[in-house]
Amino acid sequence: MIALIKATNVTKKYGGLKALDDFSVDIPEGKIGVLGPNGAGKSTFVKIALGLLTATSGEITVLGEKLTKNTTSIRKRIGYMPEHDCVPDEMTGVEFLIEMGMVSGMSLAGATERTHEILGHLRMGEEKYRLIGEYSGGMRQKVKLAQGLIHAPELIFLDEPTSGLDPNARREMLETINGLTDVSNTKVLLSTHILQDVEMVCDTVIIVKDGKLQMHENVEKIVGEKSNFIQVRIGGPVEDFISELKKKKITAEDDGRVLIIPYKDDSTYNQIIDATVKSNCLLYEMERTTQSMDSVYQEIIE
Amino acid sequence: MKKKAQVSDRFRDFNANLTTRPWIVWGMGFRRFEKFFSTKNKVMMGLIVIIYLWTLAFDVMLASGSEDYPCVLRDNSDYFEEDYSGPLMVEYKDCVPLTYYGDLFTGGGIRILIVSLAAIASGGMIGKDMVNKSLHLYLSRPISRVDYLIARFIPVFLLLLLVTAVPNLIVATAMWSDDGLKTEWITDHKWLIVNILVQGIFYSAAYSIIGLTFSTLLKKESNASGAFFLFVYGTSIIAEIFFAILKAFGIDGADRVLLISVSHVLDMISYAIFDIEYYVQAGFAPWKVDIGGTELGAVFTIIFAGCCGFMYWMILQMEANK
Repeated sequence: MIALIKATNVTKKYGGLKALDDFSVDIPEGKIGVLGPNGAGKSTFVKIALGLLTATSGEITVLGEKLTKNTTSIRKRIGYMPEHDCVPDEMTGVEFLIEMGMVSGMSLAGATERTHEILGHLRMGEEKYRLIGEYSGGMRQKVKLAQGLIHAPELIFLDEPTSGLDPNARREMLETINGLTDVSNTKVLLSTHILQDVEMVCDTVIIVKDGKLQMHENVEKIVGEKSNFIQVRIGGPVEDFISELKKKKITAEDDGRVLIIPYKDDSTYNQIIDATVKSNCLLYEMERTTQSMDSVYQEIIE
Repeated sequence: MKKKAQVSDRFRDFNANLTTRPWIVWGMGFRRFEKFFSTKNKVMMGLIVIIYLWTLAFDVMLASGSEDYPCVLRDNSDYFEEDYSGPLMVEYKDCVPLTYYGDLFTGGGIRILIVSLAAIASGGMIGKDMVNKSLHLYLSRPISRVDYLIARFIPVFLLLLLVTAVPNLIVATAMWSDDGLKTEWITDHKWLIVNILVQGIFYSAAYSIIGLTFSTLLKKESNASGAFFLFVYGTSIIAEIFFAILKAFGIDGADRVLLISVSHVLDMISYAIFDIEYYVQAGFAPWKVDIGGTELGAVFTIIFAGCCGFMYWMILQMEANK
């Protein structure tokens, strides 16, 4: 299987600042989340993969094509939704998308047909004929997404697609991204600092910090692993409780607030209760953890 | 929870049939050119109408037989006593296709209208894309930065060609018509037609590039238009004042002062295209300007390369900094 994006020792410097530092990753096909705090180098990676920026050193391959200096042909196969607001206020939604379609190389007829179809799927009715300047934040994001998908790309780069949206609009945007990309078989590279966005959309996640790759893992695996813990809050001699658990070959991790205990099967609950009784502790709370990727992300980032 | 949208088969199986880069660039440029003729652009349309009315006036003037076409020999004897035959008295060629690009007060040219049109047309061309950041969207398409710049150059260039070479060719065609549409007229004036075309392309390209540079530099449409207009006329007035002063004091190399004025540089090259000596009015006398072709070519190349390089650099900077 061809890698979606393969980066080998990519470094990007802005003057003295290293935005990407010897960054290597082999991203498989599917929906990929690039996660990291602001300034981690996510947008720089996206721009290099898009051919907008040239890496200071290293090599990058996108959809099996080697990306040399500002390769333009690869962009026929890629869509891009930038992070910042970049849609012109003085055009209507329809005019803008047709123009973007034609700038991608589509014919007027093709761009017009696709524009109406895509805006229909985005549930934009008569408002598509209004000036973009009159649109709400959510509608502007939809238009931004639509322009990235207008030429039916194989891969779309989404740079912070839910930035500035309220919770409802955010959920709607993520559902739209999922829906449209699933049925059109478009691969996704989602760059964000919001964990929930990655969980909702992506199959694989890469975590970036200070321009370096920190982690590359399957999202379901991370979420699955983390949900296999029991969170316990007790009162009394905690050390005795941990020793009792050790006797049962169960390890407990104290995060300062609660104890995190690996879940094996339902008998683990009984073993915890037994250890609480034997150590003269009071059991206040015990539940399978609903934590998602937060802890993994926090561990890596902090 | 991943929800699937209801999407038609047609959407899923859509084939975009994308065209090639040159067609994308030409399409981008031509669509912008068409937009100039929208009813929203009243000032621009007004200027084009005035330029064509002026062309019509040229035609009528020439058809009445009061002027020779394309050139007439003139002198500045009107400024002197009848018996004066000193060095200030000069004879020079006055050619209609060249006068056309001059100023209203020095022979009835339309320069001010062309410069105004170029300023308005180019003012927001790149600046707007930079301000609303849609430049990023254009550059994420299968075009390079140079392609983008060419696509923004095309509409301004075509518009200016429409008010430079085209009216001049209309005047030439009217003269041919006056001569009974004889084939000999075409063969006799073949270089005139070529020169008119070359000159029109040259003026249009130069004003377009300088206008786009101001658009890239100042971004705000009104500021860019105003600065471009002031740059063209401001440098011209300053250069002429210094030229007159230096000539009055008989200082050598006064001609080179004119090289700071973009309109004089363009005029000098334009006169060279027609192989006619270039004179600049200072005081009572039109002074012959004697600057070598190499020097002129070098100055123009610096202006042209500087503008193109600057625009490219600005776009590059914007991309890197979002």
